[in-house]
Amino acid sequence: MIADERRKRLAEAMAEEGLDALLLYGNAWQCDYLRYATDFGSLEGQALAIVRNDGQIALYLDSPLEADRAALDCPGIEIHLTRDLVGEVERALERLRNQRIGAAPQRLLPRRLAVRAADLKLGDETAFLDRLLMRKLASEIDAIRRASRLADEGYRVFMQAARPGRADYELVAETEAFFRAHGADDNFQIIGVGGVEVRGMAPPSGKRLKRGDMVTTELTPCVEGYYAQICRTLVVGEATPEQKAAHALWRESMEAGIATVRDGVTAADIARAENDVFRKHGLGQYTTSEYTRVRGHGMGLFADSKPHLLEDVTTRIEAGMALVVHPNTYHPVVGYMVLGDGVAVTKDGCELLTRTPRELFSVPG
Amino acid sequence: MRRGLMGWNAQELPIAALEARLSRLRAEMDAAGLDAFVVYTNNVRPSAVHWITGFTPYWSDAVLLVPTTGAPVFATALSKRVSEWIRTIDPVSEIVNTPKPGALIGARLAADSTVRRVGVLEYDMLPAGLADDLAAAAPAIEWIDGTALFAALRRVPDAAERGLLARADAIAVAALREADAAKATDAGTLAGAIEKRARLDAAEEAYVALAPDLDRDRRLNRTSQPTPHAARFAVRASVAYKGCWVRRIRTLAADGGAAKAAGWFAGLLGAIEPGKPLAEQIAARVKDLPGAGLTGWMAESCTGSYPLSLLASSRMPGPDTLADGQFAVLTIELALDGRPWIGAAPLVVGAPAL
Repeated sequence: MIADERRKRLAEAMAEEGLDALLLYGNAWQCDYLRYATDFGSLEGQALAIVRNDGQIALYLDSPLEADRAALDCPGIEIHLTRDLVGEVERALERLRNQRIGAAPQRLLPRRLAVRAADLKLGDETAFLDRLLMRKLASEIDAIRRASRLADEGYRVFMQAARPGRADYELVAETEAFFRAHGADDNFQIIGVGGVEVRGMAPPSGKRLKRGDMVTTELTPCVEGYYAQICRTLVVGEATPEQKAAHALWRESMEAGIATVRDGVTAADIARAENDVFRKHGLGQYTTSEYTRVRGHGMGLFADSKPHLLEDVTTRIEAGMALVVHPNTYHPVVGYMVLGDGVAVTKDGCELLTRTPRELFSVPG
Repeated sequence: MRRGLMGWNAQELPIAALEARLSRLRAEMDAAGLDAFVVYTNNVRPSAVHWITGFTPYWSDAVLLVPTTGAPVFATALSKRVSEWIRTIDPVSEIVNTPKPGALIGARLAADSTVRRVGVLEYDMLPAGLADDLAAAAPAIEWIDGTALFAALRRVPDAAERGLLARADAIAVAALREADAAKATDAGTLAGAIEKRARLDAAEEAYVALAPDLDRDRRLNRTSQPTPHAARFAVRASVAYKGCWVRRIRTLAADGGAAKAAGWFAGLLGAIEPGKPLAEQIAARVKDLPGAGLTGWMAESCTGSYPLSLLASSRMPGPDTLADGQFAVLTIELALDGRPWIGAAPLVVGAPAL
């Protein structure tokens, strides 16, 4: 099981780092640090876990529903259901006094615990966990591979659902039903519908598709806790020459980014390769934060994992990482356009994980 | 993560309703001697900011500052280009995009020399990074936990909230009818069909969980696997519509016992009285259902930033009375002629329906 392999790796890393225990926090927004050790995917409320170097893991939850789920999903872990989540964990940490405890992610820890850092010997070990989260085991990459296959299949379902008159949230409904029936517990998805006025993707707002609309989406299904992403754009009806030209540029950019991916480059190198294509075509301004958030990111136990692909992120890319490369941004003539593929980093390049053709798709208008 | 329909509709949530909520909050702030109130939100903790502004974040986090006068200030880490979308859902706030929402709100507070005491919802649970930014930017401020103050405001829903809750409940009821059709013989496909129905009916979010063989295990879990479900199984739909959440559980069984229990449960929901211990009220009512024994119960409601959090439960003893007009989701577990039955549904105490 992946969870067992992760725990073994975590225990070895803790021993190497000289950590007696770890305090981990998670919620349904960001659960990767907590899930790495516990295998629990939080859905409602929040969760804290204390991982000891002897392998004992205690998971603290404040919802009876979540405690039931944890007991089913995480055999071998102590589940503590409590009304006073922070107080209960605080007392448990006090029992570990004079031991070296690492916390992650530090910025999300409940304030009441964080303010006792010095007193409880609680150190910020976010970077320690980040290294484990980013450089994955073979079994983790395999889960991302399976999630990527579902992303490809899910996009076909999405395309089939897209037709004039349908609301954006109905496309999401069809896609989610497919994912639930085929092994994806969760999915992150946003969508854009329209033309030059669309400057990004967001949750569905009730817009109905009409002829000529561009429909952008990123699908991020989750298999065994691992998210994989695909980004594609379709046009309702025939694409215009301007849309086709823009898509060709996006494809050139994404392929330049993917061609750069290999062990030893930096996140900045990949982003720069993508952005250079935009600059070459006189669209460099659309690679800035005014128009785009990131040029891709890691894939793993969080839908928006580290490292972010940006020209100022110097994280070294290593074999065993999984990334989505997506030069998603605004185009001044056709509007917001997306294209992105997932890759697994290898020693001398990368393995392409998503296989959906890199086309500007067209659905009957 | 929110991925269903999100939007603000003035008919469903009039600005006058949001202004009335803001006035009530300010009256309580005044009574408590607070010069401002701060509320944190992310997509797991959307409910307090939603109640004040109508907005639910689909991603990332944000802080809302409620000053004693003027528009609330919504500082979000979502990027500037998402502001236009935020504005379509939050009609009342000043929206500010910043990578450090805590620092920005702290600076605003520090810049106002009249602000000394600031209430914070769920102060202990503020994310450490954000709390550090707030404190560093406003070192002279006295931070006061405002959780109880806010919970008192949220006890009885107003007409707008009741309307949204009723719509969420109608979506949940219709979605769970998918379980009747018996088209799906496996749990994953059934979960997908229920979720699809909820989302097609404009749910903002839908979490579906199943106990595929209730005789073997009464615990419900989300599922996406083709696990066959038994003749007796239970399904839970937790559904949000425009920021308001309800939960329903249905037990499906070939025998007539489940339907009989469901009828009894509907009667119980309308009979809950304010100010009396829930445990006693439920235990007394179970005697009306022949062959039934109470094995567990739970009441949840929205009191702070979480959509539904625990009020009282047989598993975690504590205060268990509800107020007149209070919204809650009640879950009941029975042994019915020796076999498990689970039901959950929303109620407003003292009202025949939502």
